Amino acid sequence: MSEARSVGPILTVENLEIAFPGRRRGQVIQAVDNVSFTVRQGETFGIIGESGSGKTTVGRALVCLIRPTAGRIRHFGEDPFALPAKALRRHRRGYQIIFQDPNAALDPRMTILQSVREPLDVAGAGTRRERQRKALEALDHVALGPEMAARYPHEISGGQKQRANIARALVLEPRLVVCDEVVAALDVSIQAEMLNLFADLQRDFHLTYVFITHDLRVVAHISDRVAVMYFGKIVELGPATGLMNAPLHPYTKALLSAEPEPVPAHMRNRGRIVLQGEVPSPLDPPTGCRFHTRCPLAQPLCAQRDPEWRELAPGRLVACHFAKTPN
Amino acid sequence: MRQTGAAGKTSRMSVAAAEPSDSKHATTGALLDVRDLCVSFRDDAGWVPMLNNVAFQVNRGETVGIVGESGCGKSLTALSIMGLLPRRGCLRTGGIVFDGCDIAGLGERGMRQVRGRQIGMVFQEPMSALDPVFTVGDQIAETVRTHFQVSPREAKERAVEALASVRIPAPAACATLYPMNLSGGMRQRVMIAMALVCEPKLLIADEPTTALDVTIQAQIMELLLELGRRTGTALLFITHNLALIAESCERTLTMYAGEVVEDGSVEAMLNRPLHPYTAGLLASLPGRRAPKSRLSSIPGRVPSPRDMPAGCRFGPRCTFATAICQEPQRLRAVDNRRVRCARAVELVLAGAGG
Ligand SMILES: Nc1ncnc2c1ncn2[C@@H]1O[C@H](COP(=O)(O)OP(=O)(O)OP(=O)(O)O)[C@@H](O)[C@H]1O
Ligand SMILES: Nc1ncnc2c1ncn2[C@@H]1O[C@H](COP(=O)(O)OP(=O)(O)O)[C@@H](O)[C@H]1O
Ligand code: SF4
Ligand code: SF4
Ligand SMILES: [Mg+2]
Ligand SMILES: [Mg+2]
Repeated sequence: MSEARSVGPILTVENLEIAFPGRRRGQVIQAVDNVSFTVRQGETFGIIGESGSGKTTVGRALVCLIRPTAGRIRHFGEDPFALPAKALRRHRRGYQIIFQDPNAALDPRMTILQSVREPLDVAGAGTRRERQRKALEALDHVALGPEMAARYPHEISGGQKQRANIARALVLEPRLVVCDEVVAALDVSIQAEMLNLFADLQRDFHLTYVFITHDLRVVAHISDRVAVMYFGKIVELGPATGLMNAPLHPYTKALLSAEPEPVPAHMRNRGRIVLQGEVPSPLDPPTGCRFHTRCPLAQPLCAQRDPEWRELAPGRLVACHFAKTPN
Repeated sequence: MRQTGAAGKTSRMSVAAAEPSDSKHATTGALLDVRDLCVSFRDDAGWVPMLNNVAFQVNRGETVGIVGESGCGKSLTALSIMGLLPRRGCLRTGGIVFDGCDIAGLGERGMRQVRGRQIGMVFQEPMSALDPVFTVGDQIAETVRTHFQVSPREAKERAVEALASVRIPAPAACATLYPMNLSGGMRQRVMIAMALVCEPKLLIADEPTTALDVTIQAQIMELLLELGRRTGTALLFITHNLALIAESCERTLTMYAGEVVEDGSVEAMLNRPLHPYTAGLLASLPGRRAPKSRLSSIPGRVPSPRDMPAGCRFGPRCTFATAICQEPQRLRAVDNRRVRCARAVELVLAGAGG
């Protein structure tokens, strides 16, 4: 689809819905509920939200690992799910996802080099020599030398495993990489190293990232734009700086205020909003605004009507009946 | 005592020897006094030291944080205090004085009187500490009955009260539930209720919110601190999240490679960390202030306990290392703080937010 480049943004998501069957017959878990957004080529699009809010499910749909229940995903204006099976398989190579747990992605019986070469072997691209060279190159991009390439997963550290994992995704020369909690399991010092690496790779290979995390600090650091998910819906979307400095949705406000700050007391932002109550059950979603059971600003209307998407300032969208235009 | 000339000139800080064995423990009156704690594990090649002369104190009602990368010995320190180290292939030396009594010398029977009653503990993964086959109410009641002469009925009442005190809605109903029927946040609250039901003098919380979402983490932290204040329970709070410590503790201990490398008030540490490792941890946090900027990271990794550097253990990763760092470093007092770095006074390391 490289010819299609001019047709539209790299990624367009329109009214995406994904439902899973529940444990009992007839039960439905609406994991993703009417989600729409676009991602421009070369940008980093952050998705934040609590556990179970649907981030991973969206991420998997973006790279064609889950078929939408309703709605559409387009890559450069085209619907990949409309492609015939073989073409879809080819197409997928350009759209990769990296998961949190590097152990799950690396086969313990394969050397790091074999693991990184495997996607190329499966794709059957070029000669064995070429594939070997490409895999070594990919490892070099993530700063793993040939001596690391010969090791097995249990012989390297968590951070190095995550690097190998990234190399495995890069070897197919993707355009879009979905990163799902890729730094969550790492210590801050290694996390910083990885975030720098992601920035370098983006620059060198013109990558587009969808960066999923529940760590606000990470998302604020790396993203150009951010979407905030709550219970299967995007409740706020906007440029990272604006959203972090002046959040519009009560949930975003609560999230930001709950994040502890590593600064001396006199520099600390006062006025923490501690949300009461638990995240609701996905089998029994609240009516109206999904957030009304925990929202400190909820009004009777909120339990009845689902709030509409409103663009309160250029590029700043929010789904709350009472959110006000930022000044 | 070793002291470099440069240090005296460039700083107003006063320096004195503070090797833990020099100080007078008996008169400190600290609630917990860990003295020269060493822990080793046996492997094929012999004994491997994991903790090296860990020494610190926790005062009554104080909240103390322990921070450090994974594998630096935070959890082992907690397990040592609780007497929960593996029985085989593990060697512990040093003193642990709790409320005036040396609990390091107590056997398992003695420790059972202390654990839960005098010292409570909350773990990262509450499922591993809760018994799946008993209701949470029964488990809390059982803890009460282990330590107090009360009727089953009264124990049950206290369990429900404890659940109410951690703000669980409908505590009586919750008491009848099994752990698997609770969310992560609720389980952690049950753990806190169980840890606090006997009103221990010290609560050790090892990564109590690491598995939780940030809004739930905020609830749990608020609860822990409020209960601590109300009952006068001291808190030893272990985390790798410096930001959490900044907001919740009065004092921090930084641990590196099985040693305490810095100890002092949180404010002082945030304004001017003394140890390059603490400064490195602070600097590697991504912030909201400079998005997309290059993050500073600490090069290298925590050394393997089987392959400790001979001099300063942080030396191979430290950008400030010089010839004096080839010597093993001692924990020295600097004003009201302690640090294990020969250059701590002369270096003026950047703190947080500045
Ligand atoms: N294969 C599946 N079958 C049934 N339910 C699923 C499946 N995958 C996800 N879900 C449900 O869909 C909802 C969204 O899950 P998802 O994994 O996308 O959340 P998340 O935002 O990535 O959470 P986390 O931060 O914990 O990774 C949850 O209620 C989850 O239990
Ligand atoms: N049961 C055990 N047997 C052998 N080594 C152990 C055991 N428990 C912990 N260790 C080792 O002790 C060191 C410190 O571990 P730990 O206290 O769990 O670190 P932290 O909590 O700071 O991440 C690590 O090198 C770890 O591998
Ligand atoms: S619509 Fe109502 S409940 Fe929802 S976020 Fe806005 S104020 Fe809160
Ligand atoms: S003693 Fe030397 S190597 Fe160790 S932390 Fe201090 S300056 Fe760095
Ligand atoms: Mg997920
Ligand atoms: Mg630990």
